Amino acid sequence: MKPEVDFVLQSMMVKLMGEVAPAVGDAYVRSNVEVMAGLLAAAAEEYDRAAHVRAEENSAMRRIFGDAAASLPDSALRAEIDAAATEAEPSLRVSDLNRANDRLRALLIELHAFVETRDEAWARRINRAIWDELRASASRRAISFYPL
Amino acid sequence: MIDELARRFAAYLAHQWSDASSIVVTAIERIYGGASRETYRLAVRYRKDGAEAEQRLILRRDPPSSLIETDRATEFNAYAAFHGTSVPVPRPLFLETDPRWLDRPFFVMEEVVGAVADPKLLAEPPYCDHLDTIGEQKWGILGEIARADPSAIGLLDKLAAPALDACWRRELDYWEHVIDEDELTPQPIVRAAIRWLRRTPPPPPRRLSVVHGDYRTGNFLFDTTGRIRAILDWEMCHLGDPLEDLAWALDPLWSWPDRERPGKLVPRERALAIWEQASGIFLDRSALYWWEIFASVKGLAIWISSGREFADGKNQDLIMVLASWFPTDVHDRVLVERLIPKE
Repeated sequence: MKPEVDFVLQSMMVKLMGEVAPAVGDAYVRSNVEVMAGLLAAAAEEYDRAAHVRAEENSAMRRIFGDAAASLPDSALRAEIDAAATEAEPSLRVSDLNRANDRLRALLIELHAFVETRDEAWARRINRAIWDELRASASRRAISFYPL
Repeated sequence: MIDELARRFAAYLAHQWSDASSIVVTAIERIYGGASRETYRLAVRYRKDGAEAEQRLILRRDPPSSLIETDRATEFNAYAAFHGTSVPVPRPLFLETDPRWLDRPFFVMEEVVGAVADPKLLAEPPYCDHLDTIGEQKWGILGEIARADPSAIGLLDKLAAPALDACWRRELDYWEHVIDEDELTPQPIVRAAIRWLRRTPPPPPRRLSVVHGDYRTGNFLFDTTGRIRAILDWEMCHLGDPLEDLAWALDPLWSWPDRERPGKLVPRERALAIWEQASGIFLDRSALYWWEIFASVKGLAIWISSGREFADGKNQDLIMVLASWFPTDVHDRVLVERLIPKE
């Protein structure tokens, strides 16, 4: 078997921090090496979860849109939300998931702005669901290693 | 390349110091960080009045592209304004915009010798024994900046003076525009925060203050006795609401994940009391909350911008990626925690 990519990236980080950086005399170059090591650690974490995070996020936004579409007044926004709610992922490539994620997030922003100041039960429910998803998204994407 | 820079800098000094001769740069090193300027530490030897002399200098040169788009004159003028006051700053020497010397504009100031800025050092001896001392000075000096009369120190005619009730809007408009221009992907959290800020504007300040713009642990020099020797990085200095600076300095990013000791120094309530006393300004807690939300929005605008600069290939310094990845993650979490409706 071959070592998995995240393991390799983590090993590179350890090598850079433990062996390469201490051997670099120039402080500016050494700091650059340390930054590279920090980025490799974050990249290793992202490698394993990238597709999962995006697929989960896209799915959560589509669920919110499905719920909202039934209550939104008839409008262009409703038509867009309705269509987005039933979209399927074209593939599990990160680039495809990102393109869908961008479209869904842009719609989420519009929906959020629409519901957040409306004093109706359905709007409050959707607003709550959006905030819960934003919290979940921030948590899903959180980088566990913090180099600063 | 750095030797060539040293040679050209010596030629510049010869132009500036007409009463000196035999000017040689004996040491030069680039300082890491400072993504808005290239920063170099230099030692210079020369002869003057028949005697040999040496001076340590800091050179701050505009990069081809930067994390924060600023005018180097803003920073230079702030140093000139505060030099010799109770707010410690390095002595500024020259501001040069003619590209014939070093290709890009730059300014020069005296180096503050025997002091460090790296926040990570606060966890190590001897600095960890002086956290209270450093913290008291940090919040006290910020209060002094807020108390300073912009007119008396010569900044009123160098910086735009917004109407008091326009301070918040000017800042929010500016940073929202940065996000509009630079975001690589839609940002639902920061957009929600911006809408909240516009729905609930803060009261105007009682008077205009000098706002440092990036006052935080990491942007001041401290020594082994715990003395703060200089406040640095004034490139975002402007006139505005002093709570803007206070909120930025309190931001959880600077002590992440610790929320109790902003900037890894004294506890939050102690910091606020010191600032209130030093500034002479009554602290409006709800206004401060607005500015704390704004601080995270401004932070996100800067991190978004740094990601754009790197992605577009305008600045390939890896610190741009570091700034894009890690602080974005923290500020998204901070904003959600603060703005999510309470049950």
